[in-house]
Amino acid sequence: METFDVVVIGAGPGGYPAAIRAAQLGAKTAIVENEQLGGTCLNWGCIPTKVMIAASELYARIKQAEVFGITAKGVALDYAALLEHRNKAVAQLRAGIKQLLTANGVTQFAGTASFQDRNTIDVNGATIRAKNVILATGSTSAIPGFLPKHVRIVESRGFLELAALPDSLMVMGGGYIGCELACLAARLGSRVTIVELLEDILLLLDSDARREVRAHMEKNLGIRILTGKALENVTADDAGVRGTCGAETLDVKLLLVSVGRQPVTGSLKLENAGLRPTDKGCIEADEFGRTKVPTIYAIGDVTGKTQLAHYATAQAMAAAANACGQKLEKYDTLVPGAIFTAPEVALVGLTESEAKKQGRAVLTGKFRFAGLGRAIAVNETTGFVKWIADAGTDQLLGATAVGAHATELIAEATLAIRSELTAHEVGRTIHAHPTFSEAWMEAAHAVHGNCLHAPPRKAN
Amino acid sequence: MATPIIMPKFGQMTEESTIVEWQKKEGDKVAKGEILFTVETDKSVMDVESFVDGTLLKIVVPAGTTAPVQTTVGFVGQPGESILAVETPKPAPQAEVAHVAATVPVSRAKAPMPKAEPITPAPAVSTPAIVFRISPRAAALARESAIDATKVVGSGPEGRVVEKDVRAYLEEHGYEQLRITPAARQLAIKEGIDILALRSDGGRIGVADVERAIAEKPRPMSKMRQVIAQRLQQSVVTAPHFFVTVQVDMTDLVALRAQLKEKNAPFTVTDFIARAVVLTLQEFPDVNSSTDGKTIRWHSHVHLGLAVSLEQGLVVPVIRNADELSLLEINQRSRELAERARAGKLAPDEMTGGTFTISNMGMLDVENFTAIINPGESAILAVSSTLQKPVVRDDKVVVRHVMKMTLSADHRIIDGALAARFINTIKTKIEDIELWKRSTS
Repeated sequence: METFDVVVIGAGPGGYPAAIRAAQLGAKTAIVENEQLGGTCLNWGCIPTKVMIAASELYARIKQAEVFGITAKGVALDYAALLEHRNKAVAQLRAGIKQLLTANGVTQFAGTASFQDRNTIDVNGATIRAKNVILATGSTSAIPGFLPKHVRIVESRGFLELAALPDSLMVMGGGYIGCELACLAARLGSRVTIVELLEDILLLLDSDARREVRAHMEKNLGIRILTGKALENVTADDAGVRGTCGAETLDVKLLLVSVGRQPVTGSLKLENAGLRPTDKGCIEADEFGRTKVPTIYAIGDVTGKTQLAHYATAQAMAAAANACGQKLEKYDTLVPGAIFTAPEVALVGLTESEAKKQGRAVLTGKFRFAGLGRAIAVNETTGFVKWIADAGTDQLLGATAVGAHATELIAEATLAIRSELTAHEVGRTIHAHPTFSEAWMEAAHAVHGNCLHAPPRKAN
Repeated sequence: MATPIIMPKFGQMTEESTIVEWQKKEGDKVAKGEILFTVETDKSVMDVESFVDGTLLKIVVPAGTTAPVQTTVGFVGQPGESILAVETPKPAPQAEVAHVAATVPVSRAKAPMPKAEPITPAPAVSTPAIVFRISPRAAALARESAIDATKVVGSGPEGRVVEKDVRAYLEEHGYEQLRITPAARQLAIKEGIDILALRSDGGRIGVADVERAIAEKPRPMSKMRQVIAQRLQQSVVTAPHFFVTVQVDMTDLVALRAQLKEKNAPFTVTDFIARAVVLTLQEFPDVNSSTDGKTIRWHSHVHLGLAVSLEQGLVVPVIRNADELSLLEINQRSRELAERARAGKLAPDEMTGGTFTISNMGMLDVENFTAIINPGESAILAVSSTLQKPVVRDDKVVVRHVMKMTLSADHRIIDGALAARFINTIKTKIEDIELWKRSTS
């Protein structure tokens, strides 16, 4: 029986970086994966959707190219060709991971892992010994039990496997995955309806950001958004999917379910290792990645914390170092979120509404892209950036960006917040002109009410 | 001429009080009976009303300042009336300290202090009353750097700190080598934290480091805690304590109380213990006495103190003439006093003059503890939890409800044998179920 210093279970954006880091630190490392290297992120999540969203964005921009005097005739979408490109991109990245794991000397096992005891793992009948285990089994889409099982009812992974987009699509759940896929489908020509049980879509955002995104989705993409009502009485047959929402009956070709993701622990036989999942099915881990069992660590979606690939990677770095007996290392908890809707949204740190809930005195500074030279030049004037700063010390606590390049722009805000910069400092930092990033500098000035390129705030 | 407002004397022992807050501003109209200000004595927080109609002309003693009783703290009269010249009281060196701090324009003096707890630095800390002199430029540099300017040695006339001194100080302490995040610096300036006093491992000084220093800042003790500290220390130093513990069988009393409770009778276990103590004290006059070390004074009445724990400390309301009260009256009086203690509404005289005290931790799940005698008394009874335990009875081990209680006695008056007899008499009375049946029927 082969013995490893570290065995990582799951090769997603948490697992494979953990394995690479452990190997870099000199540990004899193995990784076990029962599907594809790269996990949900690379194969059925972040990466393939970004291919589709890029295509939908380009398609939409070509149709608007007349603003610049460009006439494009006979523009058409070949969905099969798009999928081919997508699969190529995914395959290329997958091969990259395999190469990295091999180059770092990580032993790879294809199969499903389960515990025999806390240091012994079974992989499809083979047994390996592990001094330390890092659990990175991720999550899977939750499907409410009242929905019938039918090919016309899919979750995000099934949606990506479709050979063609439906004429009409209903999205159940207005979280970021539902909204991203709704925007993508709408831009590629589907008629889309979103049904959200809560009072608004994208509730993690401040209301001003939500308004901006929702208005664009409704007016420019023609998406119907029904909020505050449940989708009920869902039936499906070969003709389509029907359901009621309040008094209205909705009839569509496809229902996409995106109501959250559940941790994956089913096949692990955790009880053999002395672990028990929580009521929600998560494996609890502290800020060092440690579970209740000293030699077992858990990272990423399976821990039930913020379910984002880059957060899993950050946890992986810390857990791998800790499993290798390094000086205990906490992972960072300042996690930026990027939402690829149209328009894009990104946020990091504290939102205005969270600050209000905490009773924390904050100042905000906002700058709209409509006041930005570059944005007007390239005809991308929807959106804004916003800082949330401590009223007493001027410390930057949070930021939100809505509009073109928001998901790239958030990096500057994240770095500024992590470095504990003040609005004053960011305002003094010279930003290149003409760029979208100037908006951060202007918004930092706006925190103190002395923005150059916006009229003074009206006194209330 | 305007009428002076006098700091009232709230009790026999009160010598000074602190004004927590003025409810009126100078120039405000005041009606007779309206609240002028709130004071914190060593026992409680009280409102002080105006005796006359008029206008609050002048505040002599500002909020947060301690003044001796019977001194003038302000004036009420008609606008334009003349005011007798009165100096702000400077009773102790503490006022000097407060004064110095207030005139030093460094960050430290700006630190916001908790409102509800006025600052009266402990008299034990004696700061020499030297005036700290600093130039405005030096003060500004010290403030921007978030350092404590009073640590800088001044080179100007009379030791005045000038900008060059602050620069030299910063250089000497390697200030430029420190890596401080902008937000951490701002927070330190705002909260008056000395960056150089932060313990640093050479890494970046962040907001978390400053927040730790803020959390570690010494906070002023509440007046109540200061009084507790002073009185208990006095007791331990002057009264030689010794301790005697007995175990009481509570089984029958617990059963009786359960029966009474079903009939909605209000009695608590503490009531029975209190009554047993009062009866016993009448049989042991030496325990119901006090001493100054030269004379012994017997108290003809039993004034029974009952320690009540509050969120912010501890008070001991006193049941006066407890020897004249029945069990039911003791129940009513102690309930009423405890309620008012928790509401902070005890009058000062209701907390003084006790001759013996009971401290009951029965509800706190303790095996046994000892208490410190209240000054002016000669003993205190510490009552612990009633627990089920194996006990030997008639040569058999049986499970009984038992409770330990410990008498702390002042050895200047009480010797061991007396203490043993005294506490065993209490025990006998508590265990005398017929006595309780009679007094509750």
